[in-house]
Amino acid sequence: MSEEKKPRILKIAVLRFDPNDKNDFPHMEHFEVEEADGMTLFIVLNEIREHHDNSLMFDFVCRAGICGSCSMLVNGRPTLACRTLTSKLDANITLAPLPLFKLIKDLSIYSGEWMRYLNEHLETWIHDKEKEQSFDKLEERMEPSLADEIYELDRCVECGCCVAGCGTIQMKPSFVGAVGLNKVARYHLDPRDKRSDEEYYELIGNEDGVFGCMTLLGCEDVCPKDLPLQSKIAYLRRMMIKTAIKN
Amino acid sequence: MKIVYTDVLIIGGGLAGLRVATGVKERGHDAVILSLVPPKRSHSAAAQGGMQASLANSKMGEGDNEDVHFGDTIRGSDWGADQEVARMFVHCAPKAIRELAAWGVPWSRVQKGDRTAIINAQKVTISEKEDAHGLITARDFGGTKKWRTCYTSDGTGHSMLYAMDNKAHQDKVEIHERMEAISLITDEGRCYGAVARNLMTGELVAYVGKATTVATGGYGRIYSVSTNAIICQGIGQAIALETGIATLGNMEAIQFHPTAIVPVGILTTEGCRGDGGLLLDKDGYRFMPDYEPDKKELASRDVVSRRMTEHIRKGKGVKSRYGDHLWLDITILGREHIEKNLREVKEICENFLGIDPAVSWIPVRPTQHYSMGGIRTKYTGESQTLKGLYSCGEAACWDMHGFNRLGGNSVSETVVAGMLVAEYISDFCDSPESSMHIHSSKIEMALKKEREKLEALLTKQNGEDAYVLRRRMEEIMMDKVGIFRNGKDLQEAVSELEELYKRSKNIEVFRSKSRAANPALVNAYRTQKMLKVALTVAYGAQLREESRGAHSREDFPARDDENWLKRTITSWPDENQTMPSVSYEQIPVSNMELPPGFRGYGADLTKHHHETKMRLATVEAVQEKLQKEGATRFEIQNALMPYLDKLPKKYRNINERLGENI
Amino acid sequence: MKQEKIDKIPAWLDFLQSATGLILALFIMGHILFEASILVSNEMMYRVTLMFEGYYFFGETYPGIVSFLAAAIFTIFILHSALALRKFPSSYKQYRTLREHTQRMKHEDSSLWMIQVVTGFMMFFIGSVHLYIMMSQPSNIGPFASSHRVVSEFMGPLYFMLLLSVVSHAFIGLYRLALKWGFMEGKHTEISRARFKLIMKAMIAVYIIVGLSSLGKYTYIGLTHDFSDGVKYKSETIHMENHE
Repeated sequence: MSEEKKPRILKIAVLRFDPNDKNDFPHMEHFEVEEADGMTLFIVLNEIREHHDNSLMFDFVCRAGICGSCSMLVNGRPTLACRTLTSKLDANITLAPLPLFKLIKDLSIYSGEWMRYLNEHLETWIHDKEKEQSFDKLEERMEPSLADEIYELDRCVECGCCVAGCGTIQMKPSFVGAVGLNKVARYHLDPRDKRSDEEYYELIGNEDGVFGCMTLLGCEDVCPKDLPLQSKIAYLRRMMIKTAIKN
Repeated sequence: MKIVYTDVLIIGGGLAGLRVATGVKERGHDAVILSLVPPKRSHSAAAQGGMQASLANSKMGEGDNEDVHFGDTIRGSDWGADQEVARMFVHCAPKAIRELAAWGVPWSRVQKGDRTAIINAQKVTISEKEDAHGLITARDFGGTKKWRTCYTSDGTGHSMLYAMDNKAHQDKVEIHERMEAISLITDEGRCYGAVARNLMTGELVAYVGKATTVATGGYGRIYSVSTNAIICQGIGQAIALETGIATLGNMEAIQFHPTAIVPVGILTTEGCRGDGGLLLDKDGYRFMPDYEPDKKELASRDVVSRRMTEHIRKGKGVKSRYGDHLWLDITILGREHIEKNLREVKEICENFLGIDPAVSWIPVRPTQHYSMGGIRTKYTGESQTLKGLYSCGEAACWDMHGFNRLGGNSVSETVVAGMLVAEYISDFCDSPESSMHIHSSKIEMALKKEREKLEALLTKQNGEDAYVLRRRMEEIMMDKVGIFRNGKDLQEAVSELEELYKRSKNIEVFRSKSRAANPALVNAYRTQKMLKVALTVAYGAQLREESRGAHSREDFPARDDENWLKRTITSWPDENQTMPSVSYEQIPVSNMELPPGFRGYGADLTKHHHETKMRLATVEAVQEKLQKEGATRFEIQNALMPYLDKLPKKYRNINERLGENI
Repeated sequence: MKQEKIDKIPAWLDFLQSATGLILALFIMGHILFEASILVSNEMMYRVTLMFEGYYFFGETYPGIVSFLAAAIFTIFILHSALALRKFPSSYKQYRTLREHTQRMKHEDSSLWMIQVVTGFMMFFIGSVHLYIMMSQPSNIGPFASSHRVVSEFMGPLYFMLLLSVVSHAFIGLYRLALKWGFMEGKHTEISRARFKLIMKAMIAVYIIVGLSSLGKYTYIGLTHDFSDGVKYKSETIHMENHE
């Protein structure tokens, strides 16, 4: 562990607003917290809630960087707060909720609703027109490398960072964003999903889909799971053009 | 007054809850899921290492089948499990995993040919069979005879949960997010749903249904350090307890995972050791072989956790400002393996410890991880005492884990129990006995009661601070109801917890008075509930004067089958009592397929049950006789402990396996 | 699999935007280099001019060719603008959202796009003017004619702005194009992307230096040359008879 020295005093500025309170308006509030070894924003925020202001609202679930609940803007950049070590930040830290999503209160956003709509819209499940399969029988085989490739894309945690990091979607909220495109790439890769190229084209072959992407790469750069978003969106773009030519 | 009617109300949107929902939907019943968070954020996502199912595809899993899985599970449970339930489970696990494969989980697959693996710190070459190529592969986990834990890298729970939630989307399951069930609605011994609070607006809604399922996971957060997500607070168990009718089983059975990182308590998967990682002490010495020469790092979780604690007590721990810890060394697995199969572990090490696990050792120590106890149910998942109330997954004491759960059996339980319980619930809903006879005034009363409780918290003067009570409870659980327990500590824990519980009736929500989204209010009512749960754990532990599985008493080191081969059953029949009521449910030896024996760890101190010998003789005689007659393993099993008739018809078929039953 | 009629237009629009951008960028790369021939000598620049007028193919010059080329580029330019316009912020609110977003994020690639928006917008006007002049007065290209235009016709400031915007727009565009379509992305996109970015920045620097130098030379000529006998350049080696 590091040598003893006087801990820093972190100055935390939080963008606060309670939409349920008719008299409230968005404003910054400032808190001071003494830094501790290995401190993350999860610890900081809980300390503020427990010792400074118990009405401060934020979302943490797994607090291990796995569930994607705690995404927020840390000094303007979307990231997972739970795994953000304060030691990697300046003593002045600004926290704000992710834009675009419905605000519940303070740092808490209703991303679940947004993601649910996205999943329903893109039908992010296996489309298999075969009738009842028997699960008593040996499972269908899959190339090991393909399974790994699918898992790579399956790692998305729907945290919404890519959405908040995307300039396009800020302007045009009907754009599906990298989270949506990545999901389409994931199912397209999956041989168990029997959707045709044309069906995929119907989903994202438009300006709310892959052709809406302007390659600003905010998504790629803020994705906490380091998903290959740039590469997969490029892949989808090529594939969609091919499908259009083919038809 | 808002009332939502449905057929099946499911509280909790993790793997178990989602699986129940899609199951009952398929049978034509409506389902509503209440979830604290979007289902994909549930704690199921944090299960890293894998799901046990005896597929026997990989070379090291060859020869595996339901029987071996069953034996491992029962031994792991220290004979505390319900053997019929465990049988139902091992029989259905292969079906569940294949179903998930069809629903999109990208299970890691067998690659034919040679590959190197690390076993017992040695590089060995494993040759995978040609005909297994592309089937679901498995890794080694603690306490298992075969490599049986199927996985997707170390994001197994995540992949399963996403596939499951997507399936629920497809099936158009109604999911109400950020709705917290704060009490169950009961009338004349029957559960009719729940009162739920909208965590965004504060609105109270009554959900009324024929069947109510609690699938809210465990209660790890009554401890100050836990690998659990912070929403695993035991509220499901608490609201069941508060009905006064439903009972909880084996609440004292708490599992400590050997390898959570220090200090934050985030899990690194058992897969680290399964794949060949080692535990080292402050001298870099590999100590586990000294304690468990046979299974070493891959002994059952409870055993490894105790051995680590013993070793730390001998002064072999690494000193740190957060207390002593040991090292987990996975550097020997090589960077490529870590980056492919232990990615989450790598990310966790980088983000929370600032180390690269391919180069540095990981500081770990045993940390609260799993709740074997929960709402006591029949094999159908229905509460033994409250009709219409169901429970499954970690929330339940269905009882396939007894006093210690095997790694990889938890996510497996969620989907297996989910798929079975969905059928039993559907059967119930199809039957005339499910028709509802609750007067709407009763529902209104239930809503009114909850509203008044919340108002009291907000308007109370000079009350207690919920945070203070809660932190103290967490400390007590941590210090006195931990890995090693003793009568004195437990006595102190119980009396102080009771005191805290009494004080909790006087909780006041300071300053933050909003009726809508209000974290302070949430903490206040949850603290009251958590204290009840903590009391059932501590009190159950105090009364159980033996050591079984994860419940380890220093003053009673032996497993005592004669007196304690039974489940602790706790309930809270009177709102005004300040301690849970405790009774016991015998675990009969006479119909066990696998009679109690020695688990094979440390010295055998077991005090056997007087019927054990007889049952053992009977079992051996039957086996010998039938084997001579050339009976199949299924026939032998059926002769010892029939269970198939308990399963829903569609799940009774024999499982195919490479080289068997094809 | 069901074979539905899909709407191919969005795919074509996207493809054409990239394709027209690519053509324009390649054109610009050549254009600036050819124009920099002035740095070698007046004679060199004159010969390049003659080349584009077809002298080396037909033995005589046809400024109409330049007109035609300018018209073709103008068409592509208009097409590209129209396609790119789809991506522009379409209201002040959108523009403000985007500006706040890029300021907050401090994200280079997003800021680069803002540069493209601004430079693209500038070129609507400056580019159009330039292209129109080239189309309408194709014969007024030459060491002296061009210099005259830069200085005496006050085109210098316009060319200066055009240079900055077109170079940055073109190379940022090419960079984005490569990433957008996965051109030579390799296994590790972060590596290929960093390379492309470096190349982009280097090219912008080189082209701006080259372009500014040429512009400087034209300005110098424009200031010092005696235009009393017209703007025509008299070559020492090539004598035009029927060219007026």
